Amino acid sequence: MAVESYEIFSGGDELPEGCIANALSLTSPKDACRLSLVDSTFRSAAESDAVWERFLPPDYGDIISRSINGPDSLPVASKKELYLHLCDHPILIDGGTKSFSLEKWSGKKCYMLAARSLKIVWADTPRYWRWISLPESRFPEVAELLDVCWFDLSGKINTNMLSPDTRYGAYLVFTTKSRTYGFGNQPAESSVGITGHERETQTVYLDPQGGRRHRYQVVPRRLGIFTHHMAHILRHEVDTPYEPEGRYPKQRSDGWMEIELGEFFVKRGQEAEVEMSLTELKGGNWKSGLIVEGIDIRPKEGK
Amino acid sequence: MSSKKLLVLKTSDGEEFELEEAVAVRSEAIKNMVEDDCASNTIPLPNVDSKTMAKVIEYWKKHSDEGVKEDELKDFDKNYVKVLNYTELYDLILAANYLNDKELLDILCQETADRIKGKTPEQIRKAFNIKNDFTPEEEEQIRKENAWAFD
Repeated sequence: MAVESYEIFSGGDELPEGCIANALSLTSPKDACRLSLVDSTFRSAAESDAVWERFLPPDYGDIISRSINGPDSLPVASKKELYLHLCDHPILIDGGTKSFSLEKWSGKKCYMLAARSLKIVWADTPRYWRWISLPESRFPEVAELLDVCWFDLSGKINTNMLSPDTRYGAYLVFTTKSRTYGFGNQPAESSVGITGHERETQTVYLDPQGGRRHRYQVVPRRLGIFTHHMAHILRHEVDTPYEPEGRYPKQRSDGWMEIELGEFFVKRGQEAEVEMSLTELKGGNWKSGLIVEGIDIRPKEGK
Repeated sequence: MSSKKLLVLKTSDGEEFELEEAVAVRSEAIKNMVEDDCASNTIPLPNVDSKTMAKVIEYWKKHSDEGVKEDELKDFDKNYVKVLNYTELYDLILAANYLNDKELLDILCQETADRIKGKTPEQIRKAFNIKNDFTPEEEEQIRKENAWAFD
């Protein structure tokens, strides 16, 4: 069992910086940054390329070589600077069809599949969908839903592109126009899983207000000093509206909204194709006003 | 039966350890000395004390035993590092580094990493008796540069 009580070390020699760097590289980026405050030797080790090279994914060189701006557009003063840049500034790769970034706390890989790389039914029919450019998007184009009855989009990613031993979540990143309709009452269905295998579906409400039904309370009516034994139903709205089982959109820090489509686990050494889909085919109603940026694939918190 | 060549390892406090050469050359430093054909079979190790050397030899012997299964070695390694107090861990890292035994150094660094994960700088200073050599201004600057890590 590890000795938990701190026994004060009384030796004279300092631990070599290389040994400290080796140990720090086996912790996490957050630990390394925090422990740079121990002393100047720790700081020097914590800033070293040897440490941050270990926090970058093994194939980072290949990934940044696919950047649409070329690898030279990235900071190269130090591996730590490169790491932090990839955390805070997703880079567009593969001709702008994907973005790549790192999760700051863990160094795990995150991708967003651009709307252009998704399979969207009717996306090439200008009557139903159109491709527009938005300054607030990281991608050159986003997909605007004009009017469809058959709402069906999906994306795929190979697990060998992702960090091993990690639980990932897939999130549709979108926004809505002021005039959005068709998603209010009818939930959509999402599914995430390995292509060709049976996948569990989830109920999702794309309209932030969608599916929220007002709940009505039974309020006893007072008759004189007695309470009528027959309760009278008043249409009295409760402060907390009823939310049916399902997922709802959340606001992102980049101004877009997202909704979780599902999750999957990447096993070490596993090579499989994961498919993420979102459909609304049952309602039969026309839908409009959604703007799709893409599908974000990132590690789930604390996993 | 062929007799195995023995080496004598002499530690900083004058103690001598007799060890088969095949076991001792797990240390790259000792291996280089042997290959440089030092006249004597006594190898001085001025940077390692006898208590630490005994722990190093315990590790070497276990890892040189051909009959030991992989799982057994993993269990041995786990128990070997877990029982170390901070002084022993510190001394062993210095010894493994000096002796240039990468395999031993790796498991010691992994154990160090496991112990320092999630700890505060103050806890690390206390554990390893490290003096904070930063000025308050430098400390403030480091905190600012790495603000996200202190959340």
